[in-house]
This record gives sequence, structure tokens and C-alpha cells, in this order.
Amino acid sequence: MHYIANRLLSVAFTLLLISLITFLVTNILPGDVAMVIMGTQSNPEALAGLRESLGLNDPLIAQYGRWITGILTGDWGRSLVFKEAIGPLIADKVVASALIVVMSMCIALAAAIPLGIWAAVHRDKWQDNAASTTALFGVSLPDFFWGIMLILLFARYLGWLPSSGFVHPADDFVAAVRHAFLPSLALGLGLMAHLTRMTRSTMSSILSQEFIRVARAKGLTERTVIWRYALANAIGPVMTVAGLQVGYLFGSIIVIESLFNFTGMGWLTYQALLNRDIPLIQSTVFVIAAVVMLTNLVVDLLYAAVDPRIKLP
Amino acid sequence: MRGFLTAKGIIGGGIVVIVLLTALFAPLLIPDTWATQMDMRARLSGPTLAHPLGTDQLGRDLMYRMLLGAQTSIMIAGTAVLMSLVIGLPLGVISGYFGGWIDNVLMRLVDTLLAFPALLLALTISAVLGPNLTNTIIAIGIAFTPYLARIIRGEALRVAQMPYVEAARAVGTPDTLMIIRHVLPNIMPPVIVQVTISLAFAILAEAGLSFLGLGTQPPDASWGLMIQASRDFLDVAPLTALVPGAAVAITVLGLNMFGDVLRDVLDPRTQ
Repeated sequence: MHYIANRLLSVAFTLLLISLITFLVTNILPGDVAMVIMGTQSNPEALAGLRESLGLNDPLIAQYGRWITGILTGDWGRSLVFKEAIGPLIADKVVASALIVVMSMCIALAAAIPLGIWAAVHRDKWQDNAASTTALFGVSLPDFFWGIMLILLFARYLGWLPSSGFVHPADDFVAAVRHAFLPSLALGLGLMAHLTRMTRSTMSSILSQEFIRVARAKGLTERTVIWRYALANAIGPVMTVAGLQVGYLFGSIIVIESLFNFTGMGWLTYQALLNRDIPLIQSTVFVIAAVVMLTNLVVDLLYAAVDPRIKLP
Repeated sequence: MRGFLTAKGIIGGGIVVIVLLTALFAPLLIPDTWATQMDMRARLSGPTLAHPLGTDQLGRDLMYRMLLGAQTSIMIAGTAVLMSLVIGLPLGVISGYFGGWIDNVLMRLVDTLLAFPALLLALTISAVLGPNLTNTIIAIGIAFTPYLARIIRGEALRVAQMPYVEAARAVGTPDTLMIIRHVLPNIMPPVIVQVTISLAFAILAEAGLSFLGLGTQPPDASWGLMIQASRDFLDVAPLTALVPGAAVAITVLGLNMFGDVLRDVLDPRTQ
């Protein structure tokens, strides 16, 4: 428990730093919120009045204090573009992104673990080369390029799946999955490549260890050796890397959600950035960084739960 | 040298050399007008004798635009990675070599920056500064710095505990000399590998930024920008996306292969 308390304290501190960085980065903007609201051609007096009423003339530290208090008390301000309260807006979009992040992770793991094991078991043979080359291609193609190809193939030519839009899972689950499938696949392919390489290298180092030789000498079937002995030991590092890739996924969803017109967090962040909606940029960037960090915490704790050798001090 | 003479090393190295030569010499050999000339009768055409890789929506030759785009993409990626190295190297070395509270403070900052997905950080910085070529470089450079700093710090920490560093310290070598003579040369192999792989990621990042309209702006031609422009014409002319997409993919593939081989040759511990 002591360890978890310490980790939580450190998480709280890092969240504070994240909020500070987010706030500072968005405040080096050449224009400010008042300028965005009224436009560059506006009357200087009206602009000055609006600045005063929005508190933009206060020192930066006071503005930050006001913003962070708002974040903590649930008052996240209003979006300039969507003219809505930011809190509910983000809560709504998080569901969409969670759907494709989880789906792409499932697709990636389902393909990467067997492929990585297959490569490791046949190390330095053609199977290994084939799997490694596939993975290398996956890492090298930009995900939006995958996205475009998937749209062309599955939506335009074959007409099997919709190429844009989001349906809420609560409204129609099947339609929701169908709409989320192509964006998830586009995200999952790049991720799969990373995880395949990781699974392959972890598995091949484990397969050369003593206890595997002992297991084989005992006459256990190859299937038991690989799936019960080797994989049980390889799953921890693979999970850690998968957790770290969540950060990469949250970068990629900005591109992929915009490409597929899938209205989640990535799409929302892109709209905010494109329209210089400063309050919305601050909140979306903060939420994404916080989610990435908390995911890593959860993965660390899960790792300890899966691997009995690791005891939380 | 023998380590480079594998199939992977030759293909990867070959691609990297060809792309670099293209980036250097294409703008000198191909007149600008060839890439900007609009052939209105042949808009969105497939491969023809006059346009071997087809044309875009304004009838401009895709092959020439792809070849000229190489310079922009490589230049942005190269400068951005150089920038992150210039900031990340001293940060990482100081943090790893001196340790203690300096290390604590610097790495806490780096860890915080790592919580921001690199592409999100780059997009935000680019949007905040206003998208253009210079700001794209700054955005990618800043976004990549924490990754390099983290790796360099780990290496510096490892080297600082080596017996030869201890021996040098025992004879009273000052810190500056120690870093220059003993630490830097010994952390270089993994750093070079990381720089090669970062270049691949920087090319992908530039393409992503430009694709979203927050990177390179017209009239500069870059691969990401070409893919973005192709979005509305995919049905009629898939080549408009395939040509620049393949250029990105081949370059990144070459850099990744070369990086893998470099790692095998320079850094045999991590195979």
C-alpha cells in the first residue's frame, strides 16, 4: 500500500506539472482568447473591455490559478468554437476514443502475440524473416496512409464498411463497432508491428533459457512449453510496451479520427488546434496527457498482479 | 564493416543513400517549373509517357513533385532531430553523469514531457506558433527532445559507473574533461542508433503534421502535403496518394533497416 500511495502522490505532482506546461505552451500564442472571440479586425476598445472582463490582464500566475481551480472543481470553461461547456463536451468524446483505442489494442495484440511467437520459435528461419519484414513495413508506413488505403479498399471498392462517422455504442452497438472498425484497424496495424517486434525479442530470449530446456527434457509437448511456460514469462514485458504505446495511440488518434471524421478526443483536439480555441486546447491536451500517464500507472500495477515475482514494496 | 554487408544492411543503406542524394541533387537538376507546370489537359491522369507517375489535380507532374518534396521532408526531419540532439545531449549527459538532485529535477521534467504524445506536442506547438516550415522544425525538435534526453541519460549513467571513469576520477580528471574524453565517446554508439530511428519518426511526424495542415504550407512541396491534397481525388486518381505515400514508406523503411543494422554493429548488447 505504501508503494501505491507513493505512486499516487507522484502522479498528482506530475499532473500538476502537466497542467503547468499545457497552460504555458498555450499562453505563448501571439493572439489571446479575446482576439479569437472578436476577430483581428475588431475595435481596440471593445477588445480591451473584453480582455478586462475575461481577466486576461491579470498576471499569468493568477490566470493559471483560476484555470486549475476550475479544472479541479469541474468548471472547465466554455469552448469558443462549439459554444458549449467543455466538461460535458470532452466526456462525450472520450467514449468514442476509448472505443477505438481499446479495439485497436485488441486487434494489435491478437495479431502481434501469435506472429511474434511464430517468429521467435523459428528464429533465423524464413518464418522469422517473414514476420520481421511484415513488422518493419508496419512500423514504416504512416498510419494515415494505412487509413487512406483501408478507406479505398473496404469502403470504396468493396463497400463492406462505412468510411466515416461515429455511432454511440449505447444507441446501436453493431453500427458503433462497424464505424469504429476501419479507424481501429488503421491504428492497430502500426501498433501491431511494434508489439510483434517486442514479442519476438522477448520470446526468443526466454526460449533460450534453462527452464525451457528442462521443460522440453521432461517431455512436455511443444505447445505446453511455448504457451504455458514461455508466454507466461513474456507477457509482462509485452504488456508494459503495449501500455507505453497508449501514448503513441493518443498521438495517432488525432490524425486517424480527423481522417475518418470519427468525432472523438483526437478529432476534438484537432478542431481546437485548427480554430485556436484556447480553452478547449488546454483541456483536451491536459486530459490526453493525464490519461496517458494514468494508463502507465495501471499497467505497472497490473504487471505486478500478473507476475508473482514482483512484489510491490 | 562486415556487419553492414547483410541483405538488410545493403538494402537499408542503399535506400538511405539514394534518398539523401535525391534530396541534395533533385532541386539542382530538376528545374522548378517542371514540378509547378500545370498540364490542364492531363489533370489527375494515370501514368503516361509525358508523366510516368501521373499528375495531380492541377495537372502537375507527380514524379517531379515527389522528387523535389524529398528535400523538404529530409531537411525538416534532419534539422528537427539535430535540434533535439543539441538540447537533449547536454541535458541527458549532465543528468546521468552528475546524478543527485540535478538528475531528479531534469528527469521529472522529461518524464512530464513524455506524458504528452509526441505528435500531440508537435501539433500543439505548431498550431500555437503558426504553421510554417521553421515552426514545423521547432515543433518536431521539441517533441523529440525528451525521448533522446532519456536515452542519453541512461547511457551516461551507465558509463559514469564504469571502472575507467572511476580510475580517471582517482587521478583528478576534472568533470568537463571527463565528459568530453570519456563519457561522450562511449555513449555515442547507442545515440547514433537512436538518431537514425528518430529520423524515421521525424519524417513520419512531418508527414502527419503536413497532412493535418499544421506543418509545411504550400507552395513548399512535402510528401505529407501531397497526401493531404490527394484526399479529395482518391477515387479518380489513387496515384496522387500512392506516390508520396510510397516515398515516405520507402524512406522510413530504409532508415529503420539501417538503424537495425547499425544497432547490431555498434551496440551488440541489445540484440
